[in-house]
Amino acid sequence: MTPTILMRVSVVCLMFVLSLAGQNLSAQSARQAAAPREKDKPKSTVYNPYPAGILPADVESEIARVLREIDGIENKTVAAWHSMPKPTLTGQPPTFQGTGYQAVQILGKLMNYDKNMSPLKNQACASCHMPYAGFSGPIPSVNLTMVAYPGTVHFRAGKRTAPRYTYSPRYPVLQLYPAQGLFVGGNFWDGRSTGYLLQSADAEQAQHPPVDTQEMGFPDTACVAYRLSQAPYRSLFKQVWGKGSLNIKFPKNAEQVCGTPGGAKSFGTDVTPLKLSPEDRLRANEAYNHWGQSISFFEDGPQVSPFTSKVDANINGLPGSAYSPDETAGMNLFRGKANCNSCHLDGQRTLLKPGQTDNGEYATNARPLFTCFGYSNLGLPLNPRDAFFYQTTPDSYGFTANPLGFSYRDLGLGAFLRSAFGSAPNPNSSWTPLAPRMDGRQQVSTVRNVAMAPPQCPTTEAPGAIVNGVNVGYFQKEFFHNGYIKSLKQLVHFYNTRDKYAYPVTSGNCPPGTTEKVDCWPMPEVRNNIDMTTGNLGLTDEEENQLVIIMQALTDGFDPANPSKSTYPDIDTFTGTCMKGGTAATQGNEFLIPTPPLPPCATVVCGVSPTPTPSIP
Amino acid sequence: MRRFAYPDSIDSVAHEATGLSMNRLLLKLAMIMMVGVPLYSTPATAQLSPTTPKAASVKITQGPEIERADSYLTIVRWTTNNPGGSPEHYAVVHYGKNPKDLSQTTKSPIRLNPNHPDTVFRVRIEGLQPKTTYYYVVDSMEADGKSDGVKSAVNQFTTQ
Repeated sequence: MTPTILMRVSVVCLMFVLSLAGQNLSAQSARQAAAPREKDKPKSTVYNPYPAGILPADVESEIARVLREIDGIENKTVAAWHSMPKPTLTGQPPTFQGTGYQAVQILGKLMNYDKNMSPLKNQACASCHMPYAGFSGPIPSVNLTMVAYPGTVHFRAGKRTAPRYTYSPRYPVLQLYPAQGLFVGGNFWDGRSTGYLLQSADAEQAQHPPVDTQEMGFPDTACVAYRLSQAPYRSLFKQVWGKGSLNIKFPKNAEQVCGTPGGAKSFGTDVTPLKLSPEDRLRANEAYNHWGQSISFFEDGPQVSPFTSKVDANINGLPGSAYSPDETAGMNLFRGKANCNSCHLDGQRTLLKPGQTDNGEYATNARPLFTCFGYSNLGLPLNPRDAFFYQTTPDSYGFTANPLGFSYRDLGLGAFLRSAFGSAPNPNSSWTPLAPRMDGRQQVSTVRNVAMAPPQCPTTEAPGAIVNGVNVGYFQKEFFHNGYIKSLKQLVHFYNTRDKYAYPVTSGNCPPGTTEKVDCWPMPEVRNNIDMTTGNLGLTDEEENQLVIIMQALTDGFDPANPSKSTYPDIDTFTGTCMKGGTAATQGNEFLIPTPPLPPCATVVCGVSPTPTPSIP
Repeated sequence: MRRFAYPDSIDSVAHEATGLSMNRLLLKLAMIMMVGVPLYSTPATAQLSPTTPKAASVKITQGPEIERADSYLTIVRWTTNNPGGSPEHYAVVHYGKNPKDLSQTTKSPIRLNPNHPDTVFRVRIEGLQPKTTYYYVVDSMEADGKSDGVKSAVNQFTTQ
């Protein structure tokens, strides 16, 4: 072989070897694209900026418990999906004849219980919203302590309690009725999920947590479409929303991007770190919208919002639904002396005036929602246990949730109208001038399912439910936007005596000789616009208890033929431990901590134009 | 990504003392009405608090009385026939240390109950001086600032 030929053969061999190496590298790259590289794997450093005792000791085991429950429900839902008849598409645009409702609601449920809809694949929507709590927070120890639930990054957390899903789709798109001076509708405590684009406040609400840095925490809304494109139920999504609805060319680094929690320093100010073509970005946005719509339809369906409480049975005159004497007394107080239905509209016939007789007319509203969809400042004290106050240092991703610390104040709807810190952009600038009148206001919740608890401990009230002479315990919940109130007894007592027992102190600093939440109510977190309809109602202890009883009658799943067994779907999925002992009046008081001396309210909260009137200290 | 709003400056606080800030707010409310915010028609409208017919006249039937009066908190309370009108009302107190100068004003939101023949109005006042006599009259108004026309004699209280 001549040197020239040898050189040519060597070159060919070298090219052949290099091509083989290239293929191996491509295969390796393909494997690496599918699985995160070591340097891209989630950092495992736990974020714990909290003083001792703020995080409950069992938080990790409880999060794991809820994830097991979530997996169980997800598996059952997959089975329900597979047992659906094959869809029959008719019409243009195509409609699932016969199974359309079922298909979308099952799809929404599959999404709701999918823990892969988070960067670290460890958090579903349901992590903070489980059925046995009326789809609010499922961890008793979190409800007693840190208020907001840990997000995908342990232990980042938000600032408020998780609102109940039940009947949330019934809240209209946020709107202002100027003649009435009222904002109505929207979702979230501060109304920031207006629903103006999707024409559904609840569908928009489902879009927020996946990209909330302290919740499910994706860095890009397109990560929802990315994970949907990998989900076991993606074929159902495509059947419902269209064959090409997930045909998106994701970049090679999609797993790495979507596996990194939002707010990471590496993203800077980029809110679209997943680089897509304009056409693919549009498709991803549409998938994100369909995500919200599907979940909202699930929440509006019979598995979440069935109108099956004892009050509903009574309204419809079902046999076995007559109120007990205490329930009757409670309902009369609700409409009368306690004046609850001035905001928690009960759609019932007019309270009889002197001289009137009840001629048995039907209720004016067969499905009252026990809310006016409005916003009110009840004057609740600042809750120093709220995890939000302590997240003042960066986590391992370089993200700091709340640099303000205790100089944050929750202005609620007022903050949203200003697009201020801690809220979201307000899409209607004509509303911004009204912010000072809305400071401190939080959404009026529906009373429905406020008392829902798992069947093994079917009460929220200490010392526990007595079943066949045995105390089976209670399920600890948290109430109102900041979880300050820990029982329904305390809730009613607050409405009844907030002003009678008002002291110029912060929580944890009641004067000696008084008991917080019994005969001492600390000062409001936001002193502006406090609703004075309640605060000194003159109710007796027995009347307070009767109001608790009628609220319990608003729990879905009541079967007149078998009142002791709830028919609410998935009510039986709680696998945790019930609590026992104590009294509802002081429930949770052992966890009160002194509020530290509060710095002035931060400029980015209380100094944003139009500023609060009067100023907030 | 969360947006952070950083104001250029902190506006000075507009006290209710002169009522000017209320007038500015009401003007803005009127402007919003003229712009015409669309009234969305949804099935939920049956679930909204109603605006009810106005009472021919609004008269105090009980009080006004002082629930408490100290340097932390003073609450004035009175009852009238249900005034009707917008569901969100305001209880209003005009007060001062001189019965001829009741230029301080405080108001508190009150929600009317259309099923109740009477309405209890309560106003919360913070930060009064201790051991001081204040004079006051009461009124109530709708959400748009229109007075219910309550005729109230000048009363007084002394803080603890």
